[in-house]
Amino acid sequence: MRLAQLFMDTVVDIQVVEHVQMKKEDVEARIEAAFNAFRQVEDACSRFSPDSELMQATQKINEPVPISPYLFEPLRFALEMAKMTDGLFDPTIGKTLENYGFNKHYLTKEVTETTSDDTASYQDIVIDDVAKTLLIKKRMVIDLGAVAKGFAIDLAANELKGFEGFLINAGGDIYAGGFDYNGEKWKIGIQHPQCKDKVIDVVEVSNQSVCTSGSYERRSEKAEDVHHIINPMTKDSPNNWVSVSIIAPFAMMADSFSTVVFLSGDEDGKEIIEEVGIEGILINSELNIIKVGGD
Amino acid sequence: MAKMNKKWVVLCSTAIAAVYSATYFSTEAQASSAQAAVTSSPTVSVQSTNHYAKKHITTNPNQSGSHNSTGSNNATSASNNGSSQSGQSSTQSNNNSQSSSQSSSSSQSKSQQTATQSKYKDGTYTGTGMNRRGMMQVVVTIKNDKITNVQFGNFEMHYPEGYVSNLPNEVLQNQSAQVQNVSGATYSTMAFEQAVQDALGQAQNS
Repeated sequence: MRLAQLFMDTVVDIQVVEHVQMKKEDVEARIEAAFNAFRQVEDACSRFSPDSELMQATQKINEPVPISPYLFEPLRFALEMAKMTDGLFDPTIGKTLENYGFNKHYLTKEVTETTSDDTASYQDIVIDDVAKTLLIKKRMVIDLGAVAKGFAIDLAANELKGFEGFLINAGGDIYAGGFDYNGEKWKIGIQHPQCKDKVIDVVEVSNQSVCTSGSYERRSEKAEDVHHIINPMTKDSPNNWVSVSIIAPFAMMADSFSTVVFLSGDEDGKEIIEEVGIEGILINSELNIIKVGGD
Repeated sequence: MAKMNKKWVVLCSTAIAAVYSATYFSTEAQASSAQAAVTSSPTVSVQSTNHYAKKHITTNPNQSGSHNSTGSNNATSASNNGSSQSGQSSTQSNNNSQSSSQSSSSSQSKSQQTATQSKYKDGTYTGTGMNRRGMMQVVVTIKNDKITNVQFGNFEMHYPEGYVSNLPNEVLQNQSAQVQNVSGATYSTMAFEQAVQDALGQAQNS
């Protein structure tokens, strides 16, 4: 069975390989539970909805606010990433994204404009692991775009692990569980950065996530050279890589590391992949494919 | 190094576990009607966590960074707002301003429903949009001037026969040669925006 719904400005497409004996309603219910994970994460983490848990929790400074795991966990992960990369990856990039025009809710078109302290960084975010609270020391816009979708995919995958095989494709970020309809590993094509209807490579995976960060889809309306992945120090978009695909056991890992590697220079990017023990397919501006990690 | 990999894997697994352990403490399971049909699911429904924030004990708000759980009324009431609206709805229901022209609103204040007469007629509307893969259909449900549900049309109907036969041969060939599942940069949803706007256009009160 295959169903699709719209969340987080992305088509979320779920296929499951089900047993012939399974009742249609039961299969649908499991898939609906998987979609619901996206709904929950979007409600918690969206920076485009004033009512989201994130936007509500960041209204006041220096006040610890209890938050749900749907927000706490991706935020915690993002902060670990920020520490590891010394701020190259920084979830407080939200205000810069707003300035570059990435500020409209994808359905209502409502524009978000937030007052923010230009000096804010990830170090101004304090989370308490016992109390499960969030405290911000300065006005800021937190963007969880690089972790939230991955997290939602992992939660959705958790709902579907009873199936022999399933594939979640959230706008190009994928988790492939089990095996496909032929009992083989899922075949995932890596999109060609320029020829949109072609793939530049194919990988075969089972129980892994494949996530791709690329400069070729979401571009700024306000600045020609800017796309949605921005270096917090230079406020510019990197242009050495045009596409970074990461294969990792979890989508939150693959999603965030694809962004981190994209932001990193040629050598640093490869090093991170090797150190963390994941796999990468990197495409540079000359369309050379560089594979890192794996067997 | 294996050690570094493990750290991230552990972070991911505990993150998932954290969501499920929270639901064990929820008093109400705000399950959708579809969920009720599942009796053999090995995993716990995640929908009930809308009530998570309600469980927080509000203590002295002046304490910061301590182990005591400090409740902020703002956070609790926000979740209440979220869950008081239809539990089945996606985020769209949280956005009150449905005008198709952009309205700039500060995120500091919640969006207000200022329309005195409804802009849209309640109901379900099917909108159509185009993208490079063909035609897309979405089904939008509107209630009280809010989008309460957006569903994508059945994928199998994606290329209705009449439409496919009109496509140039080249495109047809590409499609059959195409690997079914593709990982790429997040695919912009212009076609879906079109489809949603199309549906909203049909819903508008004249």
